[in-house]
Amino acid sequence: MAPKYRLTYFNLRGLGEIIRLTFAAAGVEFEDVRVTEEEWAKIKPTTPLGHIPMLEIDGKPLAQSNAIAHYVAREHGLAGESNMEQAQVDMFVDTWQDVAKPLIDIYYIKDEETKRELTKKYSEETVPTFMASLEKLLCSNNDGDGFLVGNKVTLADIAFINVMSWLDSLGPNVLEKFPKLAALRKRVEAIETIAEYIKQRPKTDH
Amino acid sequence: MAHKYKLIYFDRRGRGEVARLLFAAAGVEYEDFRFKKEEWPKYKGTTPFGQCPVLEVDGKPLTQSNAIVRHLAREFGLAGKTAWDQAQVDMILETMQDIANPISVICLCKDEEEKHALKATYEEETLPRYLEAVQKILAANKDGKGFLVGDEMTVADLSLFWTLDCIPVMVKNPTAKFPKLQEFRDRIAAVPNIAAWLEKLPKTADWDNSNVEHNP
Repeated sequence: MAPKYRLTYFNLRGLGEIIRLTFAAAGVEFEDVRVTEEEWAKIKPTTPLGHIPMLEIDGKPLAQSNAIAHYVAREHGLAGESNMEQAQVDMFVDTWQDVAKPLIDIYYIKDEETKRELTKKYSEETVPTFMASLEKLLCSNNDGDGFLVGNKVTLADIAFINVMSWLDSLGPNVLEKFPKLAALRKRVEAIETIAEYIKQRPKTDH
Repeated sequence: MAHKYKLIYFDRRGRGEVARLLFAAAGVEYEDFRFKKEEWPKYKGTTPFGQCPVLEVDGKPLTQSNAIVRHLAREFGLAGKTAWDQAQVDMILETMQDIANPISVICLCKDEEEKHALKATYEEETLPRYLEAVQKILAANKDGKGFLVGDEMTVADLSLFWTLDCIPVMVKNPTAKFPKLQEFRDRIAAVPNIAAWLEKLPKTADWDNSNVEHNP
């Protein structure tokens, strides 16, 4: 019998969205519980590590967004077909996080001038440097016309479109010089269950 | 046929050590290629994303320390026996990152006052909260006399072992109030393959500021 999944997180994309997108990619139902700060304060002591997202699988709790995303991906054949493919998927997922991390750090900076300068450097140097390497790696797999790893969508591709939803804040041209990555994004977001999920998900700032 | 492994990293423990512990625990041969910090510019351009460690498996490169660690763990049967066990192991690996990463942030902080404040928060709130949660997880499995997940050693245990050794660079005696964690640490250190590795590992700086400078 299919397990009962219950995801608890804030009403944000944040650290929870990669999990929601993985369920969408797998076409698997889950209870998408979005809590307020007040509600969170009440349930916090009952969680394994005192933070969310948390996924309950038939009532058993699992914490840490990466652990959860990997578990859901593995259970539904989205983690890579062999050990080596799984390793490649892991590598990409971690690298997409490295791409996003400076943007998250910038978000917390209070001084506007510093924020502007760092965003400029991030947008003009950090992101293109990463994207160049990622475009090259994508092209080494089926000429870049398929997916990041193997022959089907995996968590690596899901992590990509998730990070792109934050990079969109930098402007419309982030992938202008990286046509294969741009096409991959379109391809993944057009997958029926993913497209449907994106269409109906709550519109939040992050 | 056995794979040919080459681990490429700085001549320090840092983000390469859990991979090295996995090779030791599994008793698998590998080339432990180490370079000095000044030599890094020479190798940086040859890596997939300008970062290390890199694991070459039969010449094919894999980067990102977590990806390397998970891959080796899976290859060596140290990733957890069931899907649920693997998820628990992953959860602990991520938590070890949450414990270790603030240390880098504090080390890199240039403002002395801010550094002092961050260190105080880490020492008085963040670290004890995490160690308590991890000790609880350990204690829930055979009263803490076994391993973190399941009945056999997994990479979660090796990662906790290494993390506990990292913390003293920032907070001395982190396990003073967590006896089960200290006992665990000593028990892992005594596992024959691990003890042999600890005996022969190069005596390098465990953690320094340069540990965090290798990212672009």
